[in-house]
Formats: sequence, structure tokens, C-alpha cells
Amino acid sequence: MKQNVAPTRSNLIKLKDELKFAELGYELLDQKRNILVIELLNLVDQAVEYESRVNASLDNAYDSLRLSVMQMGKLKVGNLTGAINVENEIKLRERRVMGVKLPVVETEFKDKGPYFSPLDTSFMVEEALDSFKESLELMGRLAELKVSIMRLALEVKKTIRKVNALQKIAIPDLRETLDFTVSRLEEAERENFILMKLVKTRLEKKKERM
Amino acid sequence: MNYFIIGDDDTVLGFELAGVFGIAVDNAEQTDAAFSKALEDSNNGIIIITEQAADMIRDRVDKLLFSAAFPLIVEIPGSNGLKEERKDLRTLVNEAIGIKL
Repeated sequence: MKQNVAPTRSNLIKLKDELKFAELGYELLDQKRNILVIELLNLVDQAVEYESRVNASLDNAYDSLRLSVMQMGKLKVGNLTGAINVENEIKLRERRVMGVKLPVVETEFKDKGPYFSPLDTSFMVEEALDSFKESLELMGRLAELKVSIMRLALEVKKTIRKVNALQKIAIPDLRETLDFTVSRLEEAERENFILMKLVKTRLEKKKERM
Repeated sequence: MNYFIIGDDDTVLGFELAGVFGIAVDNAEQTDAAFSKALEDSNNGIIIITEQAADMIRDRVDKLLFSAAFPLIVEIPGSNGLKEERKDLRTLVNEAIGIKL
């Protein structure tokens, strides 16, 4: 129960307003929590899917890399990496879900093929390059999803805490204080009423005697 | 912004084909140093790290991953294939935040 609230009428009005406010806040936060959880579940599903796609694409890439290393030797492949001119650029944007900032990653490649002379080089290098590019693009999305999930989950946790605090502590507290104030006021009213009655009967008796 | 790759020799070699700069590591100190170096450059938007390398400096990686700040971190299986008994995302979120999904 809330401490130190004198049971007066002005406090009663204040308490009623506060309770209304708390209930409104609870409703809004509850909605926020539901929206966030739906978004979170959605993102997790997407991320799981992307994770498997990244893994599959990487598997592919590693395989072709291994083949090209086998065919050309590691040193030669290493030398080729210097010759290949692929630039990648990450573009970060932001999107907001219920006030939570989430990143949106877009990967852009600036490159011009052919990257190297086909003479003396393995076809698998090209294959590996393509797969690695593909996995990079997927990974950008995966990073975006993972970070979004972490941020959303934190927000959900905060919101749940607020909802619980309102629902389990603040609102019952206010209700109790309100009930206490109302009962005290009613009690005072009854006392007053009886007092008035008493005075009235005494006055009447006095009149009769006179 | 750019990608940055930390991992074993083959992984780094592969990503360098796709134009990603990276450092090859094979022990904890090297990984630690590479990670610090990756963080120094604010132009590195996404750090890709292999699971094997991430395991060597698990504390630092997790701290960055959950602090929700830049750069973003992606863990990938290294060239030796998938790590056994890896945690899926749901358990990861569960552990980090304590919400059951």
C-alpha cells in the first residue's frame, strides 16, 4: 500500500487520475510488448533461414576454394587475390520498430570482370569468388538480423519489466490506496451524519423542555 | 563501410578473393590482436569471424555482440566445417536476454 496519503477528497481525485493514467500506460505497454514479440519471432525465423543459407553458400565457397588451391597451389591463389579488384561497400540504413533503432544492411559490389587472365588459372577460382561474394551478401543480412534480434530482445525485456511492474505492483498499490481512501471518507461521512443526528435530537429535546 | 575477416588461413584467402581485407590467425594472442585491430578502424562495419577464432576470445566477442553497438559481428563456420554442438539463435537469445522464444 502506498504510504503517507491522507484520506482527503482532493487526494481521492488525484489517486483516481493516477490510476487511470497507470491503466492507460499498462494497456499501451502491453500492446508494445505484443508488437515487439511478434516482430522478434519474425526476425528469428528469418535469421534461422539466413543462417542455413549462409552455411550452405559458405560450404560451396570453401569447396571451390579448396579445389582451386589443389589445382593451382596456395601461393598462386594468394597472388591472385592481389590482382582481383573487387570492392565491397556496406550501406547502413536505419529502421524503427516501436522506437527501437534497427540497422538495415545493404552490400554493394563494385567490380569489373574478368578479374584475371584465364591462362594458367583454374576455373574454380572464379567459382569460389562468386560463392564468396554471394555469402558476403547473405552475411550482411544475417548480421543485420542478429543485431536487430539482440536489440529487440533487450527492448522486449525492458517492456516486460515495465508491464509487470505496472500490473503487479503499481496498479494494485493504487487500487488499495484508493479503496482505503474511499472507505475512510465514507466512514468520516457516516460519523458526521450520526453527529448531526445527535445534535438535532438534542436540540429538539431542548426545545420541548422550553 | 567495409567487411573485415578474422579466421584461419584458407578462410581469409577465400574472402580476400571477394575483396575483403582480413587477418589470418591461429592462436589466441593473434586473434586478440587482430580483433583489436579490426575494432580500431571505425570503417569496419561488419566483422566476420570464424567460430574457431571466436571461441578463442569468446568473452570479447560476446561482449561486443550483446552490447548492440557497432561494428556488427557475424560468426561463420571456418573452412574446417561446422563446429559440433553449436547453439542455434534461439538458445543464444535465450541465454543473453533470458527470454524464451
